[in-house]
Amino acid sequence: MLKTLLTVGLIGLLAALLLAGVNELTRDRIELEQKRRALQTLSQLLDRDSYDNELVRDRFKTRIDGLEDPATIYRARLDGEPSALLADVTTDKGYSGDIRLLVAIDPSGKVIGVRVLNHRETPGLGDRIERRRSDWIDQFRGASLGQPSPEQWKADQRDGAFDTLASATITSSAVIQAVRDTLEWYESNRDSAFQRPAENP
Amino acid sequence: MTPSTRTIWRQGLWANNAGLVQLLGLCPLLAVTATAVNGLGLGLATLFVLVASNLAVSSTRRMLKPEIRIPVFVLIIATLVTVVDLVMQAWFSSLSQTLGIFIPLIVTNCTILARAEAFASRQPAFESLVDGLAQGAGFALVLIALGAGREIIGHGTLMSDAHLLLGEWARVLEIRILPESMGLLLAILPPGAFIGLGLLVAIRNRLERDHRQPAPLTVDEAEPRPA
Repeated sequence: MLKTLLTVGLIGLLAALLLAGVNELTRDRIELEQKRRALQTLSQLLDRDSYDNELVRDRFKTRIDGLEDPATIYRARLDGEPSALLADVTTDKGYSGDIRLLVAIDPSGKVIGVRVLNHRETPGLGDRIERRRSDWIDQFRGASLGQPSPEQWKADQRDGAFDTLASATITSSAVIQAVRDTLEWYESNRDSAFQRPAENP
Repeated sequence: MTPSTRTIWRQGLWANNAGLVQLLGLCPLLAVTATAVNGLGLGLATLFVLVASNLAVSSTRRMLKPEIRIPVFVLIIATLVTVVDLVMQAWFSSLSQTLGIFIPLIVTNCTILARAEAFASRQPAFESLVDGLAQGAGFALVLIALGAGREIIGHGTLMSDAHLLLGEWARVLEIRILPESMGLLLAILPPGAFIGLGLLVAIRNRLERDHRQPAPLTVDEAEPRPA
């Protein structure tokens, strides 16, 4: 009995040691990879010379009406002046599961660009919201709450101003609505958005 | 009795193939095989876990009492899978994003526990290593075949996104076989996986039957029998 316990204990200890070792070896590298991925998406949206602060750390969490909690807001500044705001938001209105988006807005409230970070939409139909599959997502560039007018912030299948992906109306509408919700949040928090202190865990 | 290396390979690749005959590990098999590269990635990860777990189980087999055998196997497998998951996140992060939850889920791939229990716990280390290689290769080949078939029919390409697994040079491996507009969506969706696997199993069964009965068709067989 005792011998059995010792055997199991020993094997458990060996496993724990092995895992601790591998974790130690890979931890920095995994963190680096995650940062690199985040930056890669950022650099598709923002020019490298449009900000000079440490964007990834200049962030806070907030609640945006209509979107999942919490949204993370990153702020880009150049010489201390606001140059762009990036909202990492998630909507549950997609066709299957959550869609996570990164929405870049300039200080005047115009969309700089939108990228999909994560989704589980239908391959071949809804997944064309990804930039590498189609340029559909580029239609938001330059859009704002006045342009098109608020009631036009819908898929054209639903009499709005935005192009709809064929056979993926729900997916398209979810993305359009999420961008609109983000813009509305910015509109009503314009004053505080760049003032709030950064929250770092 | 210890089987010969040749027999072990034959078992793993054909006679007792994990995917086509034992029909084990179907969850990852069906879920990730939308492209050939996904199949290759999961196949290599499973192969590695299978070889390492067979080795570990075989070399500890004399220390283990029957009643604690299974928990220890599960511990060994879970440890190895976690190692693979961490290594993939660190060095193949794009691919680990694509394969997502299916790497941690290798733990629940019954092929691995089945080989530990049925083979490695009764056989010497070398044979267990070969068995891990053979069973893993057999499983990986099915993953790649199914992934390639679904990718060609669904997207019209082969080996797309190979650079996620093999590095930048591998972009040249991508081949377009059919124009994109000809892609049949069904093949990429879950039903396509079931249909594809069904076809592969049918082909294997057919080949196996032909192999067993090399005799030419008799008149009796060629003619439809009266009901």
